[in-house]
Amino acid sequence: MVAHFLRLKLAILGNTFRRSPWQIVALGIGLLYGLGVCVLAIVGLIALRIADVETARNVVVIGGSLVVLGFLLVPLAVGVEDTLDPRRFSLFGMPNDTLALGLLVAAFVGVPSLVIASVAASTVATWSRGVGPTLLAIVSAALVTVTCVLTARVTTSVAALVLATRRARETTGLVAIVALVLLSPVISVLANVDWGRDTMAVFSALAGTLSWTPLGAGWAVPADAAAGDYGAALLKLLIAAVVVAALGLAWRGIVARMLVTPEREAHVKTYGGLGLFDPFGSTTTGVIAARSLTYWLRDPRYRASLVMIPILPVVLFVPLSIAGAPVEALWLMPLPVMCLFLGWSIHNDVAYDSTAVWLHVASGTRGTADRIGRIVPVALVGIPLIIIGAIVSAHFHGNDDVLPSLIGVSSAILFAGVGISSVMSARFPYPAVQPGDSPFQQPQSSGAVAALLQSVSFLVAVVIASPAIVFAGLGIVYGEDWAQWSLASGIAISVISVWGGVVWGGYIFERRGPEILAFATRNSS
Amino acid sequence: MTDGDDGAASMTAKKPAVGAPVAADAPPAGGAAVVDTPSVVQDVPVIEDAPVAERSTTTPADGAHQAPPVAAPPPGTDAPSAEHASEGPGAAVLRISGLRKRFGTTVAVDDIHLEVPVGSFYGIVGPNGAGKTTTLSMVTGLLRPDAGRIVVHGIDVWSEPVRAKRSIGVLPDRLRLFDRLTGAQLLFYSGTLRGLDVKTVRQRSADLIAAFGLEDAVNRLVADYSAGMTKKIALAAAMIHSPRLLVLDEPFESVDPVSAANLIDILQRYVESGGTVVLSSHGMDFVQRVCDHVAIIVSGRVLAAGTMAQVRGDGTLEDRFVQLAGGRKAAEGMEWLHTFSD
Repeated sequence: MVAHFLRLKLAILGNTFRRSPWQIVALGIGLLYGLGVCVLAIVGLIALRIADVETARNVVVIGGSLVVLGFLLVPLAVGVEDTLDPRRFSLFGMPNDTLALGLLVAAFVGVPSLVIASVAASTVATWSRGVGPTLLAIVSAALVTVTCVLTARVTTSVAALVLATRRARETTGLVAIVALVLLSPVISVLANVDWGRDTMAVFSALAGTLSWTPLGAGWAVPADAAAGDYGAALLKLLIAAVVVAALGLAWRGIVARMLVTPEREAHVKTYGGLGLFDPFGSTTTGVIAARSLTYWLRDPRYRASLVMIPILPVVLFVPLSIAGAPVEALWLMPLPVMCLFLGWSIHNDVAYDSTAVWLHVASGTRGTADRIGRIVPVALVGIPLIIIGAIVSAHFHGNDDVLPSLIGVSSAILFAGVGISSVMSARFPYPAVQPGDSPFQQPQSSGAVAALLQSVSFLVAVVIASPAIVFAGLGIVYGEDWAQWSLASGIAISVISVWGGVVWGGYIFERRGPEILAFATRNSS
Repeated sequence: MTDGDDGAASMTAKKPAVGAPVAADAPPAGGAAVVDTPSVVQDVPVIEDAPVAERSTTTPADGAHQAPPVAAPPPGTDAPSAEHASEGPGAAVLRISGLRKRFGTTVAVDDIHLEVPVGSFYGIVGPNGAGKTTTLSMVTGLLRPDAGRIVVHGIDVWSEPVRAKRSIGVLPDRLRLFDRLTGAQLLFYSGTLRGLDVKTVRQRSADLIAAFGLEDAVNRLVADYSAGMTKKIALAAAMIHSPRLLVLDEPFESVDPVSAANLIDILQRYVESGGTVVLSSHGMDFVQRVCDHVAIIVSGRVLAAGTMAQVRGDGTLEDRFVQLAGGRKAAEGMEWLHTFSD
């Protein structure tokens, strides 16, 4: 029976390569990257053989604890799609223990499991400093590998069991992003620590604490042995063994539980009245705007872009400022970048409707009404963002002369993006994440065409906005009236882009309605 | 479903038994005698069918025939019956001629001709993959035909789509709805997209919600509805602009029997007042019970079409269908299924 599960897992792994060429290229790059990290880790661990026990212990215990933490948290945060979910086997009527064992063994076949197994195995080289440490290193490497694989299995299943509702699934990914953002201050704090003086003390204390927790106990066993402290080593070995046993029992229990627990029913929330339809109602354009806006607030696929857009400049800002770029100049960057992504974010808006777009086609909706309605949320977010953002950026930049340029460039970029998006989403929709799926899931069959369309709409927006950008640059270098020119050209570009995008995109939408629906039908699962 | 029944009962109090004996299977020949005014009921019931029809239109709340709650479009609007009198009886509200569609090498629809008379309750039956959904999608302007002409109420659907679509209500099968909206929002959205003003949309939404028994569901997201509820809200959205022609693809799939009976009531009232229903189904009993006209489509071709009596002759519709569709396959070669594994 266990052999069956192994064969199944191998078949699944093999099938990941049966995709479009571009996906295989991406997968290949991912594998190479993973392999590179793995090889580096192994070489590093072997090199630690010549380091003193204290240093080697600190590196292995802290690094190892982080790895275990990763196996614990990644499935919870990202909500990994579990190909071997125990529930998929519930109808085969297998004994629980067989199923639990089979799935666990199958879990060892997989890239993360193989990486952790080889990394753990190479710690044996680190601790080959005598018979005792070597033997203990072999045992603890095995324990650590099993701990990691079991942890991932348990948390993946817990995530599937607890977070199975639609609403929960939609929020976990966003939680992960927010967590990522919260990490960036931590990074800058770490960057500011005076590493030269108290590094060793900090690391030693940290490693000492971690070595008594389930995260680090397994990694610390051979280290203590190598330091001659066999009592502590054996105690930590006991901790590691107990952890493995507890995880094994938990896994068995969870499998048993999952087999009799169907996917959880969603808790149903009610909404009073017509919501946003009340203020917007009465015209076709108005209701489409209200619908669009409602989706921006309720649909995680749109919320993801709302969350991502403020994060992007932070992600750019922090490393650049650490690298020593002048902070005053950096303050000019976040607003245009946010506007660029905001305008660009609706370039595949029609595909987000999936087949629900039939309602617009069957109603003979005017194309311009559809286009304007979909632009409204972006404008409602973008215009206040530009006004407030420009004032804040100019303030931190320290020179109010850039204010007109900032407004001009940002609105040109935003509305050029909106205009090109209006045309692209009607003419060239490409497969998007289906409604109700996780925003971070890859849609079936996207690949090269999607990448091309994404970059084209991105670049065209920048090109259309380029006059305002050039004038702004001249304004910063030469002063004079260039900033005013940037503002004027930016507003002109905005008006022309939106008007052109709406008219042209609307014409396309009306004419190609049935084709858009045919595209959506082809790509809906 | 008690809500629906309450709604029905309260409406009955206001409008007692307008629809009197509903005998939907009845028009005598070629639909020629379909009468316009709702008060003059199609009064030539085929006797053998009457009890069946009665069963389908009776709700638990009240043994006698009663006026189903909605569907009579509000006065003063573009009700199906408003201009209808000028056309005369027997005119076709939907004419399909020479319709063809192929997907790659598969021919889905192969030269279909159909005439749907005004005021008929038209059933299209066929096995899976016969081209029913493809045909109906082309009729409603959702799928571009390769060849052929579709005329709805005198307007060519594919040369004047915007005008033609005004008189069509659509319930597609297996297409999504904007399901992050609540039921009330979806109705409002559909009504406004169809060009109704706020007051009319609100009033009709309230009527439809009562008639379809959706009071408990209107403030929940459509994504959280059951399959049957989703069909109901979609059907309500299809009717909100009071179209002349309702095109329903598998309207009663996964709808519970009580709700289905309620919906059939609503549709029959709509037909009585001059509207036309075209629906596809593979439930033969159901189609025989509620439709007065039927077309049998197999492999993209119309094998039989006309009034129910003409098509089914002496037997049941199912007999006729199985005969036309190529007969039953003998269930052989599955002997292992006669012994059990434990």
